[in-house]
Amino acid sequence: MRAIRKYGVLYAMMLPVVIYFIIYGYYPLARGLQISFQDYKLMGERPYIGFANYAAVWHDPFFWKALGNTVVIGGGILVFGFVAPLVIALSLNEVMTAWFKKTAQMLLYIPHLLSWVVIGGMWIFLLSPDTGIVNLVLHKVAGIEPIHFLAESTWARWVMILVSTWKDMGYSCILFLAAIVSINPSLYEAARMDGATRWQLVRFVTLPQLKGTMKVIILLNTLGVLRIFDQVFVLRNPSTSSHVDVLMMYTFQKGIMEMQVGVGAAASFFVLVFTLILTLAVRTLTRFDEVE
Amino acid sequence: MKRKSGILMATLLAGSLLVTACSSSGGSDTGKAAEGGADTGKQPEMKLRILSANVGGKTPDEMKQFEAEIKRLTGIDVTIEKPASDYDQKVLTVLGSGEKYDLIELSDLGKLDQFVGQGAVTDLSDFVKGSSTLSDPKVIPTAEWDQLKDKDGKIHAVFTKFQGGTMPIVRKDWLDKLHLQEPKTLDEYYQVLKAFKEQDPDGNGKNDTYGLSTSGLYDIQGFMSAAGLKYRYVMKDGKRTIPYASDEAIPMYEWFAKLVKEGIMDPNFVTNDTGKMRNLFLTDRVGMVTYWDAWVGMFNNLRKEQDPNTTFQAEAIASAAGPDGNILMRRGDPDFWIVPQNAPHVEAAEKFLEFWNSKDGITLGSLGIKDVDYTESGGQYTLTAEGKEHNMDHGVPFWYNENVKSPFDKLPGVEAAQELVKQHATLELALPGWPDAEKIVQNYALKAMSGEMPAADAVKKMREELKSANLIDE
Repeated sequence: MRAIRKYGVLYAMMLPVVIYFIIYGYYPLARGLQISFQDYKLMGERPYIGFANYAAVWHDPFFWKALGNTVVIGGGILVFGFVAPLVIALSLNEVMTAWFKKTAQMLLYIPHLLSWVVIGGMWIFLLSPDTGIVNLVLHKVAGIEPIHFLAESTWARWVMILVSTWKDMGYSCILFLAAIVSINPSLYEAARMDGATRWQLVRFVTLPQLKGTMKVIILLNTLGVLRIFDQVFVLRNPSTSSHVDVLMMYTFQKGIMEMQVGVGAAASFFVLVFTLILTLAVRTLTRFDEVE
Repeated sequence: MKRKSGILMATLLAGSLLVTACSSSGGSDTGKAAEGGADTGKQPEMKLRILSANVGGKTPDEMKQFEAEIKRLTGIDVTIEKPASDYDQKVLTVLGSGEKYDLIELSDLGKLDQFVGQGAVTDLSDFVKGSSTLSDPKVIPTAEWDQLKDKDGKIHAVFTKFQGGTMPIVRKDWLDKLHLQEPKTLDEYYQVLKAFKEQDPDGNGKNDTYGLSTSGLYDIQGFMSAAGLKYRYVMKDGKRTIPYASDEAIPMYEWFAKLVKEGIMDPNFVTNDTGKMRNLFLTDRVGMVTYWDAWVGMFNNLRKEQDPNTTFQAEAIASAAGPDGNILMRRGDPDFWIVPQNAPHVEAAEKFLEFWNSKDGITLGSLGIKDVDYTESGGQYTLTAEGKEHNMDHGVPFWYNENVKSPFDKLPGVEAAQELVKQHATLELALPGWPDAEKIVQNYALKAMSGEMPAADAVKKMREELKSANLIDE
């Protein structure tokens, strides 16, 4: 009570955000949980049916196929989405020209601001087998016959992973760069005095100092990896759907397209539980709570 | 005291943020009520709230005029809401949240089945049978009502318009230029498409035309007809079958693979949406697409509007004949109105449904608003510039009612296309489980058509997966 009185102004300022999250975050969560236990109809009686919806999802082979796709694509995004921005941040850090550094950061960040509809439309055009620039370059440079990247299942998964990485690496790159800039310069000086090469500076000074930021980025990415939807929705087509449809596509299909709202709600809670398990595992593996 | 006033100020500020973040629908409702109250002082006889996908004005301003026109013609005070996108999601949200609409427009018989199963739709059987307008076979042919009946024979919807079908649409001017006949068999189709690819039909000196483009499997029925294969489910002796997953489909998928391999088929057919497919046809990049009967006229009209001297001529042709000479074509799922179970103004909804299928309703749904889209003097109708732009389509480009004649000729090519639909088109059967079955069929069919997988393997895998998921019986 004393704290509330002391910081009353701050608590009052936080109120809209808290109310927003209660209305748009926690209330739908609670309602979704309720619906997942119901034989939910659009109108009329909605009797409780216990775990029947969860059983329906558990025994649905399409759910497990979607989970497999999510693990592959999500795992790929997690790995590439971590390594690529780190490499770029380390590379940009070596660049001395300030305007080039700033311009590169801006260009890298722009895709993060665009919606998946724009990004997806752009890449569908770029990867087109007859008029797309990617195939034109491959043909010109290496004589490779046109590849229909978005129609072949194996390629489609790589497209999902790499386009996601490209879209979001600007954001992670900026976080890494901010952390690099805050590293104490005396550490570099001391290492140089000991005769460290540029690579050794990166390996023994920069990377260890970035551990905290890396943990945060891995955890942030892990939280979202099972919930990927937009890029799959935009880039998928019937030819590749069996290899790229992820858990959220399954939830969308069941809940919205087939109007099995209870089953869709149950599937979304499976995603919630899997995300919780994955996050706890990542926190433990990265020793997230340990202070460096 | 200072701290208390600080907290008070902060709370007021926070509260004002919340208020501004709220939607403005409450405000607009108040505005509308005030508007209505101040209007004439006359109490409206009936009210309606309609959710529409296609029916109504093209812009918010025109929608207001549309609503005013309905009130003038029927005395019903109507509000029509036409979402710009995500219509399916909007319908689901509206019905699931208990929001009250009197009429909702739908165009998917599978969804109608689901809504009926969910108890969301009013049974209109007694109303339709008792309505002198709707039960008149000249207004709506009796056999057509079967589309909207459930398994117990109850009617749960009323048509918004006449829905046609899809078929191959060809560049007639290219056929004439290359001295080719309209193809009738699959071999003739191949020859025509090959000529479109190889003989520079657009005369620009570049090898940049394709013979055929589609949007995935939408809609290859015109070609699958050559093997007598109907899309979606076909019941055989009470057993569920999917002809596109049968051995008879193998040579058809091989035929498409040959088109792709020889560069005759647009390689983007897997990822095309219908918009891209239409654009290819309109920009002389492809000689044949598969699309709706109404679009034959729209293709011709669009090119004519751009260039009055154009030689562009789109024409519908019949599907490839099967081994028994039969021609299979697709009749589209109808567009229809449902009355939700929680509709507050059922009487007004029923009055509107009769109006919508009468001369006044059909004129409004097709030509549009009097003195806005068209003028009428002594029985003579003239389209305004706005009316021409709207293509005489405000949700009802075509209708059933034989008593209502269009004051204008149909766009070029449409009459012939509709004749083909009348002669050959039949509805497709979508049973529960079709969304899952369709994913499997499309996945392997597209792989076979693009040559990524041998057709025989694709069909075998298709059938295995469909059987293991209990989506077919044989």
